[in-house]
Amino acid sequence: MMNPMIEIDNLSVTFNRGRKPVQAVNGVSLSVKTGEVVALLGESGSGKSVTMRSLLRLHPKGTTITGRMQVAGHDVTALSARQIADFRGAVASMVFQEPRLALDPVYTLGDQITEAIMRHEKLGRNEAFERALALFEKVRIPSPERRLKTYPHEMSGGMLQRAMIAMALACNPRVLLADEPTTALDATVQIQILLLIRELQAEYGLSVIFVTHDIGVAAEVADRIAVMYAGRIVEEGAVADIIRNPQHPYTQGLLGARVELAGHRDRLVTIPGAPPDLADMPKGCAFAPRCVRVMEACGQAVPPLTGTKGAGQVACLHYA
Amino acid sequence: MMDAVPNPLNQPGDPRDRGGPAQPLLSVRGLVRHFPVKGSGFLKPKKVVSAVDGVDFDILKGETLGVVGESGCGKSTTARVLMQLIRQDRGELLFDGESVGGTLPLRDYRRQVQMVFQDSYASLNPRLTIEDSIAFGPRVHGISPRVAIDRAHDLLHRVGLEPGRFAGRYPHELSGGQRQRINIARALALEPRLVILDEAVSALDKSVEAQVLNLLLDLKRDFGLTYMFISHDLNVVRFMCDRVMVMYLGKVCEIGTRDAIFDTPGHPYTSALLASMPKMDPAERTKVPPLSGDPPNPIDPPPGCRFHPRCSFSEDICTRMPPGVSSAKTQHSVACLMAEPGGLHSRAPALQESGS
Repeated sequence: MMNPMIEIDNLSVTFNRGRKPVQAVNGVSLSVKTGEVVALLGESGSGKSVTMRSLLRLHPKGTTITGRMQVAGHDVTALSARQIADFRGAVASMVFQEPRLALDPVYTLGDQITEAIMRHEKLGRNEAFERALALFEKVRIPSPERRLKTYPHEMSGGMLQRAMIAMALACNPRVLLADEPTTALDATVQIQILLLIRELQAEYGLSVIFVTHDIGVAAEVADRIAVMYAGRIVEEGAVADIIRNPQHPYTQGLLGARVELAGHRDRLVTIPGAPPDLADMPKGCAFAPRCVRVMEACGQAVPPLTGTKGAGQVACLHYA
Repeated sequence: MMDAVPNPLNQPGDPRDRGGPAQPLLSVRGLVRHFPVKGSGFLKPKKVVSAVDGVDFDILKGETLGVVGESGCGKSTTARVLMQLIRQDRGELLFDGESVGGTLPLRDYRRQVQMVFQDSYASLNPRLTIEDSIAFGPRVHGISPRVAIDRAHDLLHRVGLEPGRFAGRYPHELSGGQRQRINIARALALEPRLVILDEAVSALDKSVEAQVLNLLLDLKRDFGLTYMFISHDLNVVRFMCDRVMVMYLGKVCEIGTRDAIFDTPGHPYTSALLASMPKMDPAERTKVPPLSGDPPNPIDPPPGCRFHPRCSFSEDICTRMPPGVSSAKTQHSVACLMAEPGGLHSRAPALQESGS
């Protein structure tokens, strides 16, 4: 039981489509304890979603995955097609950003949830429906019985995301993977969904990986934050440490660029430039071309994550 | 804000300026736009979406007016009507004192009002190079191709993209932040006086968003522009805007200066919106959601105050009587019965004796 619930060791993911292979994830190691919420924070193209999707092996054919991934004692890379289908939903399940695209438009929500339950457990249709109803009550969908019989297009975004969470929890998984679940929602609904995820996480003792680009969202839900940049984790630590005392220049830049801090200044502090092309990465630290504290050594080799696990780690030569 | 590089346009002495600085650049009066619901009306009751339902506001010269609200509140429909991409059912637009479509022909109006959309890719023609996209508007308005292209290069330079590298490229060869810079350059090509930014930075990453916000501030100063800034991100609105308008279900529920809205919100909905922003301090996490439920459907909005089903101060009177906008103070007006002096809500302030 002392083993972490999720253990990712030196994961690399390369997409072989297009002219050049693109290495979207580049040696990521991350562990999540039972009942812990870790936020993967990064901009688009930083590899945060790809890292998480690897845990369910959701990548298209021809994608090269190297490294080791353990989830609740299962070696994800070694599972057969049949075994991975049993694993998805029952051990680890996912909540997607766009529930309208993730749900099937031609089946009612009730049918989709009972199908998932019956796929994994030996239950009759009526029992499965009863459980779906209980789940809808759990995620506080008003008039749940009627809502189970509706199609996705009849529901609002916030309600669909609640239904999506109910579906993800249908087979009592131990790990919940959330891929920007609130990005498409209004702020007033976002905070409701965040509080719901936090509440269910505590009740079921779930381990959660929460992918987001919004530091505020990470601060609301996470115990730990791992910051990703260009396919690598550049900093990792407890949520309060990252927010109050960021170490890596990229994290410092991200936190400094927030408009909340601008006060009555008339300009924002920005990180110059743009993230690197993943098909054509610089040799050393990927952030070096944009970094204000760049040294000559930064261009030579990729700095490793240093520090003690749990107390916070940073991949920057200034702290090596 | 107006004390910048001298520029003949949008500065005192601009030949297009008619009413002087005190006259609002754009006045919107009684704007109504309803959309019919498909499939209703034949053997069924006819239904309409009241996207914008009686909206009045002014955009002052040289200011940035922020518009916030949940999805479905009518902020984008308002923007599209202001651009005259769709026509209003009722109501009037006065641009610098002239009636749009009346004394001011649409063609002249559209030169002076431009828009930047949220989706930077969908709003650029994929078959046109960047310089052609930017030069397209001026050419339509009768400027020679060569002058238009020269001006496009100048604008590219102004938005921070080197013309030599970017002018001949196509939209798919650029990143989201670069494409949004192109859209901004294109909006400026006709030398507009008002630019409507409809969620223009919402799709960008945070570090790129900060760069584009800085660019917008620089351009506003250099070209003497007026912005209408639509966003769902209250932090960005607080940074960018001089005045803020809060919309709910097709109505304005509060409008006022930035400090009034953020420091002393008068409408319960504004307070709830502000409280819904994620807290940056993990020690002070939100415990209870400030609002329950989703934004309601603008088909068949509730009677009385439209916010009353979600309002924690709702009383019987709120279900029957729609609040008027308390327009006593132009600095800050609130559409809530609790803010009406001598109103029927138990929390309404007492009516002050006039002349005291």
